[in-house]
Amino acid sequence: MSRLNLIFLITFIGMLIWVTLFNPGAVSTIQRGAQVAMSPFMKASNGIDTAVAELGGDALGPAQLRERLSQVEQERDRLKLEVIQLDEILEENNELRRALQYREKSLLSLVAARVVSRKPAQWYHTLVIDKGSAEGLAVDSPVILPLGEEAGLIGKVSEVLGPHSAVVLLLTDEMCQVSAKLENSQEQGILSGQRGATRAQPDLHLRYLSKEADAKPGTKVYSSGAGELFPAGLILGEVVSLSIGVIDAEVIVKPAVNFDELVDLFIILPNSSTEPEVTAPEATAIPPKPVSAR
Amino acid sequence: MRFLLLLGSLLALSFIIQEFLPVFDWAYGSRLLLVHALFLAAAIAVPFPAMLVMAFACGFFWDARYHVPIYPDGGTLGILTQSEVPFGFTIFLFGITGALLQGVRPLFRRGRWELPVFMIGLCTGIILLLEYLVISFHRGGLEVSPEFWWKLLMTCLFSSLVSPFLLLLLSRAAERMRYRIRMDGLKRRHTPDGDAF
Repeated sequence: MSRLNLIFLITFIGMLIWVTLFNPGAVSTIQRGAQVAMSPFMKASNGIDTAVAELGGDALGPAQLRERLSQVEQERDRLKLEVIQLDEILEENNELRRALQYREKSLLSLVAARVVSRKPAQWYHTLVIDKGSAEGLAVDSPVILPLGEEAGLIGKVSEVLGPHSAVVLLLTDEMCQVSAKLENSQEQGILSGQRGATRAQPDLHLRYLSKEADAKPGTKVYSSGAGELFPAGLILGEVVSLSIGVIDAEVIVKPAVNFDELVDLFIILPNSSTEPEVTAPEATAIPPKPVSAR
Repeated sequence: MRFLLLLGSLLALSFIIQEFLPVFDWAYGSRLLLVHALFLAAAIAVPFPAMLVMAFACGFFWDARYHVPIYPDGGTLGILTQSEVPFGFTIFLFGITGALLQGVRPLFRRGRWELPVFMIGLCTGIILLLEYLVISFHRGGLEVSPEFWWKLLMTCLFSSLVSPFLLLLLSRAAERMRYRIRMDGLKRRHTPDGDAF
Protein backbone atom coordinates (compact mmCIF):
# COMPACT_ATOMS: atom_id res chain seq x y z
CA MET A 1 0.00 0.00 0.00
CA SER A 2 1.39 3.39 -0.96
CA ARG A 3 2.15 6.02 1.66
CA LEU A 4 -0.67 8.28 0.41
CA ASN A 5 -3.21 5.46 0.67
CA LEU A 6 -2.03 4.67 4.17
CA ILE A 7 -2.34 8.30 5.27
CA PHE A 8 -5.88 8.50 3.87
CA LEU A 9 -6.82 5.17 5.48
CA ILE A 10 -5.57 6.23 8.91
CA THR A 11 -7.33 9.60 8.60
CA PHE A 12 -10.53 7.82 7.50
CA ILE A 13 -10.45 5.48 10.49
CA GLY A 14 -9.71 8.37 12.86
CA MET A 15 -12.59 10.45 11.54
CA LEU A 16 -14.92 7.43 11.62
CA ILE A 17 -14.15 6.86 15.31
CA TRP A 18 -14.64 10.59 15.98
CA VAL A 19 -18.06 10.56 14.27
CA THR A 20 -19.28 7.44 16.07
CA LEU A 21 -18.43 9.09 19.39
CA PHE A 22 -20.74 12.05 18.73
CA ASN A 23 -23.19 12.51 21.59
CA PRO A 24 -26.96 12.40 20.88
CA GLY A 25 -27.17 16.21 21.02
CA ALA A 26 -24.58 16.62 18.28
CA VAL A 27 -26.25 13.93 16.16
CA SER A 28 -29.58 15.68 16.58
CA THR A 29 -28.07 18.99 15.45
CA ILE A 30 -26.55 17.36 12.36
CA GLN A 31 -29.84 15.64 11.52
CA ARG A 32 -31.70 18.91 11.94
CA GLY A 33 -29.35 20.54 9.43
CA ALA A 34 -29.84 17.71 6.92
CA GLN A 35 -33.59 17.91 7.43
CA VAL A 36 -33.61 21.64 6.71
CA ALA A 37 -31.49 21.14 3.59
CA MET A 38 -33.66 18.33 2.25
CA SER A 39 -37.09 19.56 3.36
CA PRO A 40 -38.01 21.20 0.00
CA PHE A 41 -37.33 17.91 -1.76
CA MET A 42 -39.14 15.89 0.90
CA LYS A 43 -42.20 18.11 0.54
CA ALA A 44 -42.07 17.93 -3.26
CA SER A 45 -41.73 14.15 -3.12
CA ASN A 46 -44.66 13.87 -0.72
CA GLY A 47 -46.73 16.15 -2.96
CA ILE A 48 -46.06 13.87 -5.92
CA ASP A 49 -46.93 10.80 -3.84
CA THR A 50 -50.22 12.36 -2.79
CA ALA A 51 -51.04 13.48 -6.33
CA VAL A 52 -50.33 9.99 -7.69
CA ALA A 53 -52.45 8.41 -4.96
CA GLU A 54 -55.31 10.76 -5.79
CA LEU A 55 -55.13 10.05 -9.53
CA GLY A 56 -57.25 6.94 -9.18
CA GLY A 57 -59.82 8.72 -6.99
CA ASP A 58 -62.92 10.49 -8.20
CA ALA A 59 -62.35 14.18 -8.86
CA LEU A 60 -65.08 16.37 -7.37
CA GLY A 61 -66.78 19.12 -9.35
CA PRO A 62 -67.39 22.66 -7.99
CA ALA A 63 -70.98 21.84 -6.98
CA GLN A 64 -69.91 18.70 -5.17
CA LEU A 65 -67.11 20.62 -3.45
CA ARG A 66 -69.57 23.29 -2.28
CA GLU A 67 -71.84 20.57 -0.92
CA ARG A 68 -68.91 18.89 0.81
CA LEU A 69 -67.87 22.25 2.31
CA SER A 70 -71.34 22.82 3.61
CA GLN A 71 -71.36 19.35 5.21
CA VAL A 72 -67.99 19.98 6.81
CA GLU A 73 -69.14 23.35 8.18
CA GLN A 74 -72.23 21.72 9.68
CA GLU A 75 -70.07 19.03 11.24
CA ARG A 76 -67.70 21.69 12.62
CA ASP A 77 -70.60 23.57 14.23
CA ARG A 78 -71.93 20.35 15.73
CA LEU A 79 -68.49 19.53 17.16
CA LYS A 80 -68.16 23.08 18.56
CA LEU A 81 -71.40 22.58 20.48
CA GLU A 82 -70.21 19.18 21.63
CA VAL A 83 -66.96 20.68 22.91
CA ILE A 84 -68.90 23.32 24.87
CA GLN A 85 -71.00 20.57 26.43
CA LEU A 86 -67.91 18.50 27.16
CA ASP A 87 -66.23 21.46 28.85
CA GLU A 88 -69.26 21.86 31.12
CA ILE A 89 -69.28 18.15 31.91
CA LEU A 90 -65.54 18.22 32.58
CA GLU A 91 -65.92 21.16 34.93
CA GLU A 92 -68.71 19.38 36.77
CA ASN A 93 -66.64 16.19 36.88
CA ASN A 94 -63.66 18.06 38.29
CA GLU A 95 -65.81 19.67 40.97
CA LEU A 96 -66.90 16.19 42.05
CA ARG A 97 -63.28 15.02 41.89
CA ARG A 98 -62.22 17.92 44.06
CA ALA A 99 -64.88 16.93 46.53
CA LEU A 100 -63.48 13.41 46.57
CA GLN A 101 -59.87 14.69 46.58
CA TYR A 102 -59.05 12.97 43.26
CA ARG A 103 -56.62 14.50 40.82
CA GLU A 104 -58.44 16.67 38.27
CA LYS A 105 -58.78 15.54 34.67
CA SER A 106 -58.06 17.68 31.65
CA LEU A 107 -58.92 17.26 27.99
CA LEU A 108 -56.09 15.93 25.84
CA SER A 109 -54.18 18.66 24.01
CA LEU A 110 -53.83 17.61 20.40
CA VAL A 111 -51.75 18.99 17.57
CA ALA A 112 -52.63 18.15 13.97
CA ALA A 113 -49.70 17.21 11.75
CA ARG A 114 -49.13 16.18 8.17
CA VAL A 115 -46.88 13.41 6.91
CA VAL A 116 -43.86 14.78 5.05
CA SER A 117 -41.86 11.64 4.35
CA ARG A 118 -42.82 7.98 4.47
CA LYS A 119 -40.64 4.99 5.34
CA PRO A 120 -37.32 6.83 5.07
CA ALA A 121 -35.41 4.10 6.93
CA GLN A 122 -34.78 0.58 5.72
CA TRP A 123 -35.28 -1.45 8.89
CA TYR A 124 -37.43 0.90 10.96
CA HIS A 125 -41.09 1.76 10.42
CA THR A 126 -41.05 5.54 10.65
CA LEU A 127 -42.63 8.69 9.25
CA VAL A 128 -41.49 12.30 9.24
CA ILE A 129 -44.14 14.88 10.15
CA ASP A 130 -44.29 18.66 9.76
CA LYS A 131 -44.66 19.52 13.45
CA GLY A 132 -41.89 19.72 16.02
CA SER A 133 -40.63 21.49 19.10
CA ALA A 134 -42.35 24.78 18.18
CA GLU A 135 -45.72 23.07 18.64
CA GLY A 136 -44.66 21.45 21.93
CA LEU A 137 -43.92 17.93 20.65
CA ALA A 138 -41.57 15.82 22.75
CA VAL A 139 -40.02 12.38 22.47
CA ASP A 140 -42.56 9.61 23.25
CA SER A 141 -45.62 11.82 22.57
CA PRO A 142 -48.38 9.43 21.38
CA VAL A 143 -49.63 9.83 17.82
CA ILE A 144 -53.26 9.02 17.06
CA LEU A 145 -55.84 9.13 14.27
CA PRO A 146 -59.65 9.37 14.50
CA LEU A 147 -61.28 6.16 13.26
CA GLY A 148 -65.02 6.78 13.24
CA GLU A 149 -66.12 7.00 16.86
CA GLU A 150 -62.80 5.77 18.17
CA ALA A 151 -59.19 6.92 18.14
CA GLY A 152 -56.56 4.61 16.70
CA LEU A 153 -52.95 4.55 17.85
CA ILE A 154 -50.37 5.20 15.14
CA GLY A 155 -47.19 5.23 17.22
CA LYS A 156 -45.05 7.65 19.16
CA VAL A 157 -42.64 10.47 18.45
CA SER A 158 -39.16 8.98 18.46
CA GLU A 159 -37.20 12.14 17.70
CA VAL A 160 -37.96 15.85 17.48
CA LEU A 161 -35.74 17.04 14.64
CA GLY A 162 -36.51 20.73 14.82
CA PRO A 163 -39.17 23.40 15.31
CA HIS A 164 -41.31 21.96 12.53
CA SER A 165 -40.14 18.41 12.07
CA ALA A 166 -40.30 15.15 14.02
CA VAL A 167 -39.92 11.43 13.42
CA VAL A 168 -42.78 9.09 14.35
CA LEU A 169 -42.02 5.46 15.17
CA LEU A 170 -45.01 3.48 13.94
CA LEU A 171 -46.90 0.86 15.91
CA THR A 172 -45.76 -1.70 13.32
CA ASP A 173 -42.14 -1.34 14.47
CA GLU A 174 -40.80 -3.85 16.97
CA MET A 175 -39.49 -1.05 19.18
CA CYS A 176 -42.91 0.61 19.60
CA GLN A 177 -44.34 -1.52 22.39
CA VAL A 178 -47.78 -0.83 23.80
CA SER A 179 -49.48 -2.26 26.83
CA ALA A 180 -52.71 -3.67 25.40
CA LYS A 181 -55.86 -5.45 26.52
CA LEU A 182 -58.58 -7.45 24.84
CA GLU A 183 -62.11 -6.07 24.44
CA ASN A 184 -64.45 -7.01 27.32
CA SER A 185 -61.65 -8.75 29.16
CA GLN A 186 -59.03 -8.05 31.79
CA GLU A 187 -56.40 -9.88 29.72
CA GLN A 188 -53.38 -7.66 29.19
CA GLY A 189 -50.22 -8.12 27.17
CA ILE A 190 -47.58 -6.26 25.22
CA LEU A 191 -48.30 -5.41 21.59
CA SER A 192 -45.52 -4.75 19.10
CA GLY A 193 -44.62 -5.13 15.46
CA GLN A 194 -42.28 -7.69 13.97
CA ARG A 195 -38.64 -7.12 13.12
CA GLY A 196 -37.91 -7.20 9.41
CA ALA A 197 -41.61 -7.01 8.46
CA THR A 198 -41.78 -5.64 4.95
CA ARG A 199 -45.48 -5.33 4.12
CA ALA A 200 -47.21 -1.95 4.36
CA GLN A 201 -49.73 -3.46 6.76
CA PRO A 202 -47.83 -6.09 8.77
CA ASP A 203 -49.45 -8.11 11.52
CA LEU A 204 -48.83 -7.12 15.12
CA HIS A 205 -48.04 -9.52 17.97
CA LEU A 206 -49.80 -9.35 21.34
CA ARG A 207 -47.58 -11.35 23.71
CA TYR A 208 -47.63 -12.47 27.34
CA LEU A 209 -51.35 -13.22 27.56
CA SER A 210 -52.49 -15.97 29.89
CA LYS A 211 -53.18 -19.37 28.36
CA GLU A 212 -56.86 -18.93 29.26
CA ALA A 213 -57.17 -15.73 27.20
CA ASP A 214 -60.49 -15.51 25.37
CA ALA A 215 -59.23 -14.11 22.08
CA LYS A 216 -61.62 -15.01 19.30
CA PRO A 217 -60.93 -13.74 15.79
CA GLY A 218 -62.47 -10.28 15.44
CA THR A 219 -62.05 -9.35 19.12
CA LYS A 220 -60.85 -5.77 19.34
CA VAL A 221 -57.57 -4.87 21.03
CA TYR A 222 -57.19 -1.57 22.92
CA SER A 223 -54.35 0.19 24.71
CA SER A 224 -54.62 -0.50 28.43
CA GLY A 225 -53.00 2.69 29.67
CA ALA A 226 -50.53 0.76 31.85
CA GLY A 227 -47.06 2.23 31.57
CA GLU A 228 -48.50 5.75 31.32
CA LEU A 229 -47.01 6.39 27.89
CA PHE A 230 -50.17 5.83 25.85
CA PRO A 231 -53.70 6.73 26.96
CA ALA A 232 -56.08 3.88 27.65
CA GLY A 233 -58.82 2.98 25.19
CA LEU A 234 -57.05 3.66 21.91
CA ILE A 235 -57.94 1.02 19.35
CA LEU A 236 -54.94 -0.96 18.12
CA GLY A 237 -56.50 -3.65 15.94
CA GLU A 238 -58.44 -6.88 16.01
CA VAL A 239 -57.50 -10.46 16.73
CA VAL A 240 -56.68 -12.66 13.76
CA SER A 241 -55.48 -15.81 15.50
CA LEU A 242 -54.38 -17.14 18.87
CA SER A 243 -51.46 -19.47 19.54
CA ILE A 244 -51.00 -20.99 22.97
CA GLY A 245 -47.44 -21.67 24.11
CA VAL A 246 -46.02 -23.54 27.09
CA ILE A 247 -46.39 -20.74 29.62
CA ASP A 248 -48.34 -18.01 27.84
CA ALA A 249 -50.39 -17.21 24.75
CA GLU A 250 -49.74 -14.95 21.80
CA VAL A 251 -52.25 -13.28 19.52
CA ILE A 252 -51.75 -12.07 15.97
CA VAL A 253 -53.45 -8.70 15.56
CA LYS A 254 -54.47 -6.95 12.36
CA PRO A 255 -53.79 -3.19 12.77
CA ALA A 256 -56.83 -0.92 12.91
CA VAL A 257 -55.02 1.90 11.11
CA ASN A 258 -54.03 1.69 7.47
CA PHE A 259 -50.43 2.83 7.80
CA ASP A 260 -49.98 3.10 4.07
CA GLU A 261 -52.58 5.85 3.68
CA LEU A 262 -51.62 8.17 6.50
CA VAL A 263 -51.78 11.83 5.55
CA ASP A 264 -52.98 13.79 8.57
CA LEU A 265 -52.58 12.67 12.15
CA PHE A 266 -52.72 14.03 15.70
CA ILE A 267 -50.11 14.17 18.42
CA ILE A 268 -51.05 14.19 22.10
CA LEU A 269 -48.96 16.85 23.76
CA PRO A 270 -46.91 15.88 26.79
CA ASN A 271 -48.72 18.21 29.18
CA SER A 272 -51.96 16.28 28.58
CA SER A 273 -53.11 14.05 31.40
CA THR A 274 -53.02 10.73 29.57
CA GLU A 275 -53.51 8.43 32.54
CA PRO A 276 -54.78 10.25 35.57
CA GLU A 277 -53.53 9.01 38.89
CA VAL A 278 -55.98 8.31 41.65
CA THR A 279 -55.05 9.51 45.10
CA ALA A 280 -56.70 7.78 48.01
CA PRO A 281 -59.39 9.92 49.59
CA GLU A 282 -58.46 10.83 53.11
CA ALA A 283 -61.77 11.29 54.81
CA THR A 284 -64.58 9.93 52.76
CA ALA A 285 -66.88 6.98 53.07
CA ILE A 286 -66.97 6.45 49.30
CA PRO A 287 -64.35 3.94 48.12
CA PRO A 288 -62.21 5.10 45.16
CA LYS A 289 -63.15 3.69 41.79
CA PRO A 290 -60.71 3.01 38.99
CA VAL A 291 -60.57 5.98 36.69
CA SER A 292 -60.53 5.57 32.96
CA ALA A 293 -58.51 7.97 30.88
CA ARG A 294 -61.29 8.36 28.37
CA MET B 1 -9.92 16.48 -10.97
CA ARG B 2 -12.86 17.51 -13.14
CA PHE B 3 -14.07 13.91 -13.09
CA LEU B 4 -13.93 13.80 -9.29
CA LEU B 5 -15.87 17.06 -9.06
CA LEU B 6 -18.47 15.61 -11.41
CA LEU B 7 -18.72 12.52 -9.19
CA GLY B 8 -19.25 14.74 -6.16
CA SER B 9 -22.04 16.60 -7.95
CA LEU B 10 -23.66 13.36 -9.10
CA LEU B 11 -23.59 11.98 -5.59
CA ALA B 12 -25.19 15.16 -4.24
CA LEU B 13 -27.83 14.90 -6.96
CA SER B 14 -28.45 11.25 -6.08
CA PHE B 15 -29.41 12.27 -2.54
CA ILE B 16 -32.06 14.57 -3.99
CA ILE B 17 -33.34 11.94 -6.43
CA GLN B 18 -33.40 9.38 -3.58
CA GLU B 19 -36.13 11.46 -1.91
CA PHE B 20 -38.37 10.86 -4.91
CA LEU B 21 -37.80 7.12 -5.24
CA PRO B 22 -40.80 5.19 -3.99
CA VAL B 23 -40.97 2.11 -1.82
CA PHE B 24 -42.40 -0.82 -3.79
CA ASP B 25 -44.86 -2.82 -1.74
CA TRP B 26 -44.95 -5.52 -4.41
CA ALA B 27 -41.18 -5.89 -3.93
CA TYR B 28 -41.47 -6.56 -0.19
CA GLY B 29 -41.07 -2.90 0.76
CA SER B 30 -37.75 -2.54 -1.02
CA ARG B 31 -36.58 0.47 -3.01
CA LEU B 32 -33.76 1.47 -5.28
CA LEU B 33 -30.92 2.77 -3.13
CA LEU B 34 -29.50 5.13 -5.73
CA VAL B 35 -26.94 6.72 -3.42
CA HIS B 36 -25.52 3.29 -2.56
CA ALA B 37 -25.48 2.16 -6.20
CA LEU B 38 -23.81 5.36 -7.42
CA PHE B 39 -21.24 5.36 -4.64
CA LEU B 40 -20.36 1.72 -5.35
CA ALA B 41 -20.14 2.38 -9.09
CA ALA B 42 -17.96 5.42 -8.43
CA ALA B 43 -15.75 3.37 -6.09
CA ILE B 44 -14.72 1.29 -9.10
CA ALA B 45 -13.67 4.35 -11.07
CA VAL B 46 -11.61 6.32 -8.55
CA PRO B 47 -8.34 5.82 -6.64
CA PHE B 48 -8.37 4.53 -3.06
CA PRO B 49 -8.02 7.95 -1.32
CA ALA B 50 -10.87 9.43 -3.37
CA MET B 51 -13.02 6.39 -2.58
CA LEU B 52 -12.41 6.94 1.16
CA VAL B 53 -13.36 10.62 0.89
CA MET B 54 -16.55 9.69 -0.97
CA ALA B 55 -17.35 6.95 1.57
CA PHE B 56 -17.02 9.44 4.40
CA ALA B 57 -19.08 12.16 2.73
CA CYS B 58 -21.85 9.82 1.49
CA GLY B 59 -22.01 7.83 4.73
CA PHE B 60 -22.09 10.98 6.84
CA PHE B 61 -24.87 12.62 4.86
CA TRP B 62 -26.84 9.35 4.59
CA ASP B 63 -26.81 9.02 8.37
CA ALA B 64 -27.60 12.72 8.79
CA ARG B 65 -30.74 12.19 6.72
CA TYR B 66 -31.84 8.61 7.44
CA HIS B 67 -30.38 7.63 10.82
CA VAL B 68 -33.07 6.59 13.33
CA PRO B 69 -32.06 7.17 16.95
CA ILE B 70 -33.52 4.12 18.65
CA TYR B 71 -31.62 3.46 21.84
CA PRO B 72 -31.19 -0.09 23.13
CA ASP B 73 -32.71 -0.45 26.58
CA GLY B 74 -30.71 -2.13 29.34
CA GLY B 75 -28.45 -5.03 28.54
CA THR B 76 -24.70 -5.05 28.53
CA LEU B 77 -24.58 -2.18 26.08
CA GLY B 78 -27.01 -0.04 28.07
CA ILE B 79 -24.16 2.16 29.21
CA LEU B 80 -23.59 3.37 25.66
CA THR B 81 -25.18 6.62 24.62
CA GLN B 82 -25.21 5.56 20.97
CA SER B 83 -28.30 4.31 19.20
CA GLU B 84 -28.79 0.74 17.97
CA VAL B 85 -27.19 1.49 14.63
CA PRO B 86 -24.60 4.10 15.61
CA PHE B 87 -24.41 7.38 13.76
CA GLY B 88 -21.50 6.95 11.36
CA PHE B 89 -22.03 3.23 10.81
CA THR B 90 -22.89 3.85 7.16
CA ILE B 91 -19.49 5.51 6.71
CA PHE B 92 -17.88 2.27 7.89
CA LEU B 93 -20.12 0.18 5.60
CA PHE B 94 -19.40 2.38 2.60
CA GLY B 95 -15.67 2.23 3.35
CA ILE B 96 -15.65 -1.59 3.53
CA THR B 97 -17.77 -2.16 0.42
CA GLY B 98 -15.96 0.58 -1.50
CA ALA B 99 -12.64 -1.17 -0.72
CA LEU B 100 -14.10 -4.45 -1.98
CA LEU B 101 -15.10 -2.83 -5.26
CA GLN B 102 -11.66 -1.33 -5.74
CA GLY B 103 -10.60 -4.87 -6.61
CA VAL B 104 -12.68 -4.96 -9.80
CA ARG B 105 -11.25 -1.75 -11.29
CA PRO B 106 -9.24 -3.64 -13.97
CA LEU B 107 -12.42 -5.33 -15.20
CA PHE B 108 -14.28 -2.02 -15.40
CA ARG B 109 -11.42 -0.48 -17.32
CA ARG B 110 -11.40 -3.33 -19.81
CA GLY B 111 -15.12 -2.90 -20.35
CA ARG B 112 -16.05 -6.18 -18.63
CA TRP B 113 -18.92 -5.09 -16.43
CA GLU B 114 -20.50 -8.43 -15.50
CA LEU B 115 -18.65 -8.81 -12.21
CA PRO B 116 -18.85 -5.07 -11.25
CA VAL B 117 -22.63 -5.15 -11.82
CA PHE B 118 -22.97 -8.28 -9.69
CA MET B 119 -20.67 -6.82 -7.02
CA ILE B 120 -22.66 -3.57 -6.78
CA GLY B 121 -25.83 -5.58 -6.06
CA LEU B 122 -24.00 -7.84 -3.63
CA CYS B 123 -22.39 -4.95 -1.73
CA THR B 124 -25.77 -3.17 -1.40
CA GLY B 125 -27.06 -6.39 0.16
CA ILE B 126 -24.05 -6.61 2.48
CA ILE B 127 -24.69 -3.05 3.72
CA LEU B 128 -28.34 -3.81 4.53
CA LEU B 129 -27.55 -7.20 6.04
CA LEU B 130 -24.89 -5.78 8.36
CA GLU B 131 -27.30 -3.04 9.52
CA TYR B 132 -29.92 -5.70 10.27
CA LEU B 133 -27.41 -7.86 12.14
CA VAL B 134 -26.35 -4.92 14.32
CA ILE B 135 -30.01 -4.21 15.16
CA SER B 136 -30.56 -7.90 15.96
CA PHE B 137 -27.44 -7.97 18.13
CA HIS B 138 -28.78 -5.11 20.23
CA ARG B 139 -32.21 -6.71 20.54
CA GLY B 140 -30.74 -10.02 21.62
CA GLY B 141 -31.91 -12.46 18.96
CA LEU B 142 -31.86 -13.00 15.26
CA GLU B 143 -35.33 -13.08 13.71
CA VAL B 144 -35.16 -13.75 10.00
CA SER B 145 -38.32 -14.22 8.01
CA PRO B 146 -38.63 -15.16 4.31
CA GLU B 147 -39.93 -11.59 3.75
CA PHE B 148 -36.60 -10.27 5.02
CA TRP B 149 -34.62 -12.29 2.49
CA TRP B 150 -36.95 -11.22 -0.31
CA LYS B 151 -36.54 -7.56 0.63
CA LEU B 152 -32.77 -7.97 0.66
CA LEU B 153 -32.78 -9.79 -2.68
CA MET B 154 -35.05 -7.24 -4.36
CA THR B 155 -32.93 -4.32 -3.13
CA CYS B 156 -29.80 -6.05 -4.48
CA LEU B 157 -31.60 -6.66 -7.75
CA PHE B 158 -32.64 -3.00 -8.11
CA SER B 159 -29.03 -1.91 -7.50
CA SER B 160 -27.69 -4.42 -10.02
CA LEU B 161 -30.28 -3.36 -12.60
CA VAL B 162 -29.42 0.33 -12.38
CA SER B 163 -25.66 -0.17 -12.14
CA PRO B 164 -24.94 -0.77 -15.88
CA PHE B 165 -26.43 2.67 -16.60
CA LEU B 166 -24.34 4.24 -13.85
CA LEU B 167 -21.18 2.50 -15.07
CA LEU B 168 -21.93 3.63 -18.61
CA LEU B 169 -22.45 7.20 -17.41
CA LEU B 170 -19.16 7.13 -15.49
CA SER B 171 -17.16 5.58 -18.31
CA ARG B 172 -18.55 8.10 -20.85
CA ALA B 173 -17.81 10.97 -18.47
CA ALA B 174 -14.28 9.64 -17.87
CA GLU B 175 -13.75 9.38 -21.64
CA ARG B 176 -14.94 12.95 -22.27
CA MET B 177 -12.86 14.37 -19.46
CA ARG B 178 -9.86 12.26 -20.41
CA TYR B 179 -9.77 10.76 -16.98
CA ARG B 180 -7.71 7.55 -16.77
CA ILE B 181 -8.81 4.91 -14.30
CA ARG B 182 -5.62 4.12 -12.45
CA MET B 183 -4.64 0.84 -10.89
CA ASP B 184 -3.05 1.89 -7.59
CA GLY B 185 -2.30 -1.14 -5.49
CA LEU B 186 -2.64 -3.48 -8.47
CA LYS B 187 0.52 -2.36 -10.29
CA ARG B 188 2.27 -5.70 -10.35
CA ARG B 189 -0.29 -7.12 -12.71
CA HIS B 190 -0.33 -4.12 -15.04
CA THR B 191 1.99 -2.20 -17.27
CA PRO B 192 3.88 0.77 -15.76
CA ASP B 193 1.62 3.36 -17.43
CA GLY B 194 -1.38 1.93 -15.62
CA ASP B 195 -2.97 0.10 -18.52
CA ALA B 196 -4.36 -3.30 -17.74
CA PHE B 197 -2.27 -5.99 -19.35
